[in-house]
Amino acid sequence: MSSFRLVRRYLGKHKVRSGLTIASLVVALFLLCMLRSLVVALDAGVRGAKRDRLVVQSAVSLFVDLPQSYQAKIAAVEGVQTLCKWQWFGGRYGDEDAFFAQFAVDMDQLNDLYPEVSLVEGSWADVAADRRGCLVGRSLAKQFDWKVGQTVPLLATIFPAPDGGAWEFTVRAIYEPTSSAVDGNTMFFHWNYFEETVKASFGEAPGTGTYFLRTAPDADQVAIAASVEQLFENGPQRVSCSTEAEFQAQFVSMVGNVPFFVSAIGGGVLIAIVLACINTMLMAFREQLHDAGILKAVGFTDGSVAGMMLTQSLLLCGIGGFGGIALAKLSEPGLRAALGSMFPGYEVTSETLLLATGLTLAIGLVAGVMPALRARALRVVEALRSVE
Amino acid sequence: MLVPLSYTLRSLFVRRSATLLTVLGIGATVAVLAGVLALRAGFTSLFVQNGRDDVAVFLRQGATSEGESGITRETCDRLIKTLPQIAKSGGPEGAPLAAMECYLAVRRNKADGSGETNVPIRGVQAASLAIRGDSFRFTEGRALQFGADEVVVGRKLVDRIENCRLGDVVQLNTTPFRVVGIFECDGPFESEIWGDFERMLVALQRPVANRVVAKLNPEIVGDEYDAFAAMLADGSTYQDLKVKVFTERAYLESMTGALATTLLALSIGLSVIMGLAATFTATNTMLSAVASRTHEIGILLSLGFRPFPIFLSFLFEALVLGLIGGAVGCLLALPINGIETGTTNFATFTEVAFAFRVTLPVLGGAITFALALGLLGGAVPAWRAARLAPTEALRRR
Repeated sequence: MSSFRLVRRYLGKHKVRSGLTIASLVVALFLLCMLRSLVVALDAGVRGAKRDRLVVQSAVSLFVDLPQSYQAKIAAVEGVQTLCKWQWFGGRYGDEDAFFAQFAVDMDQLNDLYPEVSLVEGSWADVAADRRGCLVGRSLAKQFDWKVGQTVPLLATIFPAPDGGAWEFTVRAIYEPTSSAVDGNTMFFHWNYFEETVKASFGEAPGTGTYFLRTAPDADQVAIAASVEQLFENGPQRVSCSTEAEFQAQFVSMVGNVPFFVSAIGGGVLIAIVLACINTMLMAFREQLHDAGILKAVGFTDGSVAGMMLTQSLLLCGIGGFGGIALAKLSEPGLRAALGSMFPGYEVTSETLLLATGLTLAIGLVAGVMPALRARALRVVEALRSVE
Repeated sequence: MLVPLSYTLRSLFVRRSATLLTVLGIGATVAVLAGVLALRAGFTSLFVQNGRDDVAVFLRQGATSEGESGITRETCDRLIKTLPQIAKSGGPEGAPLAAMECYLAVRRNKADGSGETNVPIRGVQAASLAIRGDSFRFTEGRALQFGADEVVVGRKLVDRIENCRLGDVVQLNTTPFRVVGIFECDGPFESEIWGDFERMLVALQRPVANRVVAKLNPEIVGDEYDAFAAMLADGSTYQDLKVKVFTERAYLESMTGALATTLLALSIGLSVIMGLAATFTATNTMLSAVASRTHEIGILLSLGFRPFPIFLSFLFEALVLGLIGGAVGCLLALPINGIETGTTNFATFTEVAFAFRVTLPVLGGAITFALALGLLGGAVPAWRAARLAPTEALRRR
């Protein structure tokens, strides 16, 4: 009988214990993968950012709008190829006041700015032809069961409609982002519809939250950013012009210590599972004491008896750990849909998988090393004297 | 006849390595849960405990937070002058205790260099301070002088945000504001920068106020308050105001709702998942306890102990494991009490600083959770022990 088969038999002998240990490992590794993916998701926008996209926003606050008169001045800066107005709408949908991101944009510029917005249903022409037309992400459409042609009423929190009722939009196309630069849970609609309605409500045109711009391929982004900021140095609203990556990083740094908390939780999970595995392996060792003595008596070397102990631990942790990793990967689409707009970039990256694999092996080694050393140091006479 | 407790306790000691590993495992699980609950306790108590029922917050109808709200100055003036529910300072003929406030989350760098965050800046009027009364104190520097380009800074911002020390300059758009004082004030205000309402509007180029705060007359509570809120909501009496009223407590509660719910969901999710793993560990430990004492159980049974007391004895052992684990977890979580941290409250999109609070309910929840883990983990092994046949059990050594 090969020693590996023996190891398998030992694990099979205590089905309940092995099963429970494996189940704990599945749970723990799944949790670790998920927690890391949540932290990684925070950076999604930064990872997908492109060098040739710049964002102009108020230097004072995310909530200060820029005058529309800035548009022509920014467009005139040399090297600016595409310019798109962008305004946060902040509407609520349905009976539960569901919340997701909505932006009023210059629809004819959107595709030039973000080629990553790839339509899966409807066409750009359909959107352009309907004043109230809107473009929604596929996962958003799925969440609310929207079809092309359907009317979506939104209750405004910032920009009340003239009659105090809901704003109405018609779904004209559905998109699927091709990179993490674009969130798949967003609604985009026409700037003109937005501006006309706000004018009717407030008597004046709305400002622009941000201007997104795309530079010519060979342009110097740093110089462009500097000259845009220079334009409005003396007001009325100072601006900051940053790369898309810097703009997105702003939102990441806002969450503050959250990544640290998540790591601390992960640490707790890890400690608990390591202790559980050590516990299981020590139990296994005590039971196999007598057997180990026999093996040594019939000529197995100290090393091979210790190796069997370690193999047992690695096999046990390997099965459980990979189970958890597989579960994390398999549940990825479901969790991404469930987390929706809170963590749009939820993804179990290959780096996470690699890290989790490393952790699994490390747990197996740590749990197996003590029983293995004790098995190696075991004296045959003592071992044979012990009873199960 | 019950199995003596000392038998149970001694057996935990005899198998001390397994006991220790199990207790530490449960402890780690409980500590994580206690940590998340302490975070939530710190956050919600900051907002809710300090919200007052006698202070009213008026927002534009449809707005859910002051950042979204905007009320013209004319409307504010009319509201403050006409509503009889607003208290007057120094008797019925005095000035109304009400103030217009503007509010904006401004982009600021964190002092530790880890990037940008959003700090609430509030333009206030003299009545804003009067409403707060003694809960608002200057601890450094001097009081805010109205009409000047100066600000006072909440105590919690001083070490967290760049340029928030006494004498520093806070640049707002094209206007510099000098920091002349540091204040303490119960509640989330300690994470804010306050300046003169009029000067702020000019500097920020904003035409409207975000909200009106007012002290209500003492009789506007309960049904009286509800009637007042309903009257403003239906708009028949004051058609042109188009505002909605909240008590400050209700307003602050609504600002914490989303984050508090997220944290609660997180702690429930984590405790279920981690609890599952911890239960499996406890089951393993107890199964092995039963297995190694099979012979002794046989002796107990032949001495005349009934199966049920034996079941109870092992269940009790598991509960003790859970209890010690819970105590260890609480001890691990205690040092985080009072540690200050900050995160963005996405209801307002601004950073709030608050401290972890390991309160009695937090500890109680953690211990209950630990006992539940012990109970769940011990049930099956205890059942097994109780169902052993005496002859079979005695034969095992």
